[in-house]
Amino acid sequence: MALSVGASRLDSMTTAIEAIDLVRHFGQVKAVQGVSLEVAEGEIYGFLGPNGAGKSTIVRILTTLLGPTSGSGSVLGHHVVAERTTVRRLIGVALQEAGLDPKQTGRELLTLQGRLYGLRGQLLEAQVREVTELVGLTDAIDRRIQTYSGGMKRRLDLASALLHRPRVLFLDEPTTGLDPLSRVLIWDRIRELRARFGATIFLTTQYLEEADELADRVAIIDQGRIVRQGTPAALKAEVGADVIDVAIDERETGAARAAIKELQSSGELPGGELRGTERGYTLFVPDGPGNIAVLIRGLDRAGVRFGAVSLSRPTLDDVFLAATGGRMAAAAERAAAEQERTPEPAGRGPA
Amino acid sequence: MSAGTAAAAAEPRTLAAPAGLVSDVTAITGRAVRGILREPELFLFALVIPVFFFVVQVGALGDVAKRAFGVSSYAAFQLPISILFASASTSGGNALVLDIANGYWDKLSVTPVRRSALVIGILFGEMFAVLGYSLALLLFGWAIGVRFAGNELVGAAGLLGLTLLFGIGFAAVSIAVALATGSVRATQSTFIIFFPLLFLTPSALPRNLMTGWFETAVRLNPITYVVEAARSFLFGFDAAVVARGALAAALFSLFTFALTALAFRRRVRMG
Repeated sequence: MALSVGASRLDSMTTAIEAIDLVRHFGQVKAVQGVSLEVAEGEIYGFLGPNGAGKSTIVRILTTLLGPTSGSGSVLGHHVVAERTTVRRLIGVALQEAGLDPKQTGRELLTLQGRLYGLRGQLLEAQVREVTELVGLTDAIDRRIQTYSGGMKRRLDLASALLHRPRVLFLDEPTTGLDPLSRVLIWDRIRELRARFGATIFLTTQYLEEADELADRVAIIDQGRIVRQGTPAALKAEVGADVIDVAIDERETGAARAAIKELQSSGELPGGELRGTERGYTLFVPDGPGNIAVLIRGLDRAGVRFGAVSLSRPTLDDVFLAATGGRMAAAAERAAAEQERTPEPAGRGPA
Repeated sequence: MSAGTAAAAAEPRTLAAPAGLVSDVTAITGRAVRGILREPELFLFALVIPVFFFVVQVGALGDVAKRAFGVSSYAAFQLPISILFASASTSGGNALVLDIANGYWDKLSVTPVRRSALVIGILFGEMFAVLGYSLALLLFGWAIGVRFAGNELVGAAGLLGLTLLFGIGFAAVSIAVALATGSVRATQSTFIIFFPLLFLTPSALPRNLMTGWFETAVRLNPITYVVEAARSFLFGFDAAVVARGALAAALFSLFTFALTALAFRRRVRMG
């Protein structure tokens, strides 16, 4: 099965981030299982997957916080282990947990961060002013961080990642837990970053619409492996059909499956992919509006009791479903249950 | 905007440049000191228990001590204990473990900061706190009539120097525990080891009056010599006693720094 769709334009561009067969184990837990990827300079690369899929572990490896068990990674040609100090100067990072010292003011935090990047005097002041304006925190910058809302902390974290004008920016779930308004605000800032500075952005997210909205290309990761990679449009086109979801009573799933297969073999329904889901079945068919009525009539004729039937254009979740056989929400629940059974050992800290 | 257009309009270079160890340490120390100054209540709490012990000990044993131990001022005898007690109440490990727990340590660690500066800066911040505790208790002692044997300023400076040497060593213990465990509870519990270290010393009475296992334990405890050196500034300067105490404090600190270095290396190793 092809994993990459629409990546040909990478050929003519400089590589900003590269991972080759990255593997990371925590004891018995195989968090990352052979991930390879390539991100072009100036690209927004969406890394999409449910909680526990391995997104943050890969970000921690690529941002020099964690060594890989095997495989290698590089940023702008610099190895993330052997040349980690150089990599750290080139990247900006906003991690999933916006770890900010609540006792400092926003300005103090940014100033400290800037000094660690070697910024001084007027340049440092100008950069603090610039990133503060960029994230819309000018009015709150002299307040203690403990008074900030969750969205403000995320924006400050983003600002601190931008101070030194990094060429590559890693944003690990920058909008998780934010209200829709704050999320849209962060999206705007990310677009502006690319427009103003041309930064390469590696964005992990568990929100399908976020990847769809922002990313030039998307990799879908599940259980530590990339299962699909390409532009959102190409990935959705790969599904190649409209999506009909039909809710089926648990006791009727066998009968429903038989009825749908019968409709397909008789030619009443075109032969699209049929996937069992938590609520019933998902059918991928061309001409959804025309075929939804055929499906309903067929199920009714077979005496199958069914619930809600819905029709939609394919989403990245449908790509995820087609690639993994499950919805992202279910995969997240599975990962959470797995983590409860085998808690990740205390990982080594940063280097 | 396409990626290609964006790249063409891009700022070609990052502004980041090497900062240098001194700059890194100064920046981290400044943040540690700000954190201490912004929680004055913690500063006051750290003084409450040492002052309470001081008041109880002096109140209960002050008159007896003069007659039984031949100690001219039991307040002066107890003041170094209170100062050492307070200097062990530093919160560097607690601040560090909170940074680790809330992700700020990672935030700092993805910068090009020299890793050692992250710990050295916190230790310098702790020196500031120890200095504050010591000065506050010296002023308290002075207010109730405790005086140094010789020149007041020289005596105070000597006692402060000794306390700093000991306090920084003790702060390193809590930082080592924070680095090794990443656990808030374990780090806060570090304070417990202070009790045997400080109270298996001539804290209540002079060593020449002790006997049996207690005397042996006190003799083997390096903090005994720090306590005796601290008292030497108050009861009559004895260079040998001060040198022995300074050496004990230095060895204690070297040992705890080694523990911190080991814990630090373990934490910063890349997996």
